[in-house]
Amino acid sequence: MINANLKGSLHALIAPLGAIALTMALGFLLVAAISDEPVLAYRELLFANFDSLSNFALFLNRATPLVLISVGITFAFRAGVFNVGGEGQLFAGAIATTVVGIAFAGLPAVILFPFAVIAGIAAGAAIGWVPGILKVKLGVDEVVVTLMLNTIVLLFTSYLVNQVIRDTTAYGAVSWKLPEHIWLPTIPGIPGATSGFMVAVVLSLLSWVVLFRTHWGAEVRSAGTNLRYAEAVGIAAGNRVITAMLIAGGFAGLAGALYVLGIGHRFEQNFSPEYGLIALTCALLARVNPAASLFTALYYALMLNGAAYMQISTEVPRSLVMLLTGLLVLLMTARLTRKGSNSQTFDAF
Amino acid sequence: MGHDNILVLDGITKKFGDIVALEHVDLSIRRGEVHVVCGENGAGKSTLMNILVGIHAPDGGKIVFNGKETTIRDPLAAGAMGIGMVHQHFTLVPSMSVAENLFLGHHLRHFGFFSDRQAMVERAGTLIDTYSFALDPEASVRTLSVGQRQRVEILKALVFDAELLILDEPTAVLTPPEVEELLKVITNLRDRGRTVLFITHKLREVKAVSDRVTILRRGKNISTHITKAVTENDIARDMVGRDVFLMGRQGQGARAFGKNVLQLENVSITNSNGRLLLDGINLDVRAGEVLGIAGVDGNGQTELAEAIAGLIPVQAGTIRLDGTDINNASVVRRQEAGLGFVPEDRLDRGLSRNMSIAENMAATNYLRAGILWRGFVDKGRLAEFTQKGIEQFDIRGAKPSLTVGSLSGGNMQKVVLAREFARDPKVLLVSQPTRGLDIGASEFVYSEILSAADKGNGILLISSELSEIFALADRIAVIYSGRIMQILTREDADEETVGILMNGGKEQAA
Repeated sequence: MINANLKGSLHALIAPLGAIALTMALGFLLVAAISDEPVLAYRELLFANFDSLSNFALFLNRATPLVLISVGITFAFRAGVFNVGGEGQLFAGAIATTVVGIAFAGLPAVILFPFAVIAGIAAGAAIGWVPGILKVKLGVDEVVVTLMLNTIVLLFTSYLVNQVIRDTTAYGAVSWKLPEHIWLPTIPGIPGATSGFMVAVVLSLLSWVVLFRTHWGAEVRSAGTNLRYAEAVGIAAGNRVITAMLIAGGFAGLAGALYVLGIGHRFEQNFSPEYGLIALTCALLARVNPAASLFTALYYALMLNGAAYMQISTEVPRSLVMLLTGLLVLLMTARLTRKGSNSQTFDAF
Repeated sequence: MGHDNILVLDGITKKFGDIVALEHVDLSIRRGEVHVVCGENGAGKSTLMNILVGIHAPDGGKIVFNGKETTIRDPLAAGAMGIGMVHQHFTLVPSMSVAENLFLGHHLRHFGFFSDRQAMVERAGTLIDTYSFALDPEASVRTLSVGQRQRVEILKALVFDAELLILDEPTAVLTPPEVEELLKVITNLRDRGRTVLFITHKLREVKAVSDRVTILRRGKNISTHITKAVTENDIARDMVGRDVFLMGRQGQGARAFGKNVLQLENVSITNSNGRLLLDGINLDVRAGEVLGIAGVDGNGQTELAEAIAGLIPVQAGTIRLDGTDINNASVVRRQEAGLGFVPEDRLDRGLSRNMSIAENMAATNYLRAGILWRGFVDKGRLAEFTQKGIEQFDIRGAKPSLTVGSLSGGNMQKVVLAREFARDPKVLLVSQPTRGLDIGASEFVYSEILSAADKGNGILLISSELSEIFALADRIAVIYSGRIMQILTREDADEETVGILMNGGKEQAA
């Protein structure tokens, strides 16, 4: 039994790792075709993140929201909800935390900090709740609702940051800075790296336990894989689906809150390179396993930041990374089809 | 030669990857006979037929048709040679008329372009008369009953003069009177010089209709007999490889029952369109009793089961479990009160195919079997619990961590049964427990149901398989159009009476 579990976990890890290795090999051929210095370009892409502590800190900062959102999305997927609303939920969390932090700047940290974090989680969860309840009660397609909500939330935050809480002394659509006493501390020894990353790691492991080692997790997965079965064995399936969406939204909201508190220290309208969508890919590549999505999120963070270093050092454009990540998705999917056994995955979709 | 063989298969072999579906199968069909091929699920019947109509190509062996060795490239080629197939699932266009369906893809034409409807209707009419099928060539298929549709399927194969007609499990979708009709049709076809190859695993039909029978088991042909010379038990033994007992309680004396454990009083259900799906159902099941609900599918059985299980609300009436009113109780409360539920479709309500066998089997047992510790799953206890079920129900190829989807239909059904029987429910609601299962697995399910009844559990058995009802039930209630027509004791019931009641109390017009 323990053996089988170990094998299962290894399997979940080996799958994306193999695809990643193959992607990198194919990508190297591409780089070699367009660059005179393919080795340098690839070195920058892969290792520049570890050249200095500050690069490493940026790498962890990049990974933090990805981990949190993709773990949240995992809950939604496991409950059978194809949640593409990570971006909207993230923005809702970020703006709520910012508004609370600015509006109640006078409060002491012990009150304001939890207040701001909870506001972020609650805002994300609220945005996640809408598609959940609509799906369960009215059978509304969640993809449409989450996509639409993304636009609504993004435009609403744009309004707030431009019209209400805009820092008039700064350039661009950014809010006033949050009071310094509620900033998240950095990780000891790595200046600039947000301790939010540690929160993300702990939560991803905890989520694995919740999903795969608790009765509640089994119920969520039952509802997600076969709703009619779940009802027949006495699971309050609709309730589980809604709760999972609250959690998914809450995680994305937390990602927004921790970004604002630990990295940006203010709300910037362009703070996200589409974290919500990238995190969705991370969750899928991790075969909807929250512990594995920790690693896929790290990989994406590595690529995103590495591409910037690569572009600075060589003439290889950073958009190569888009190509590589697309290739990766392709290889992962191809692999699944070839084996014909998506038994371990989320083929509820 | 002695006999004129229309079709001879010699050493046919077919592999799918590593799996050998057919291994050196020999089969010879004499011109003008009704030949039955029978075998359990997975014995290779369908693969063999698919080879005959050109859907699969054999990996070895030869096919001799009308004395010439041939290869059958595709279904069109098979049709041109004179091999017609009637598939288990109908391939008709409901909105078109009988005649149009018969000539679908081969319309008779004026000047090679305009469809000649008149000629098609006439040709269809002649064909219908020839085989006395009692069909209106201009009726749209949508208005026909299942039995009539099947006759259209048969005509479709005959329209281009098929010498050899293959019927793939044609009785699976029919009511007992319709089966009788079909068997007459088959005899009639033989009398008119057609050769019929008939696939089934129902022994009664083998005996009733065939001249010879070939039995497949695990991809090999085990034996070919002249049907008259063998008994149903002989055939069953060859199919399964050992003696089988599907006789249930037949011949046993009267059984004693306890008090009422499940009572339905005037239970009615209306759907959202205001149509009455269940109409004042009154039933009671006593402890230790098997009450069989016989009926053609779609006469309210699904709603009855779901209403008792708590999955759909009832608009009127009361459901009592062991004396307590459970009308408004949740599914879980009903389970706690002692209800076990085996849904009619294991992949719909019965199981989550992508989850593990362990999680499927534990789904209604987490608390009762002590698998939980403060909301956490005790993996050791879970594995132990599942392993016990796997051993008790002899679920082949099962390990707790495998997904349910990796099991065969019969073994999946055993997972559902293991889950529900594990709770030792006071009332067990079992719907179509052997649908899609072969004899070996059915026999096992029968014995489990009977032994649960012997332990004093009340069992409500819903089945559209009459032989199943007769093998297991102590009393038989016939459901038709949402109403219980009549409740008969096992002794008073015979297949004919029940068959008539299943069709609403009237003899079906031939």
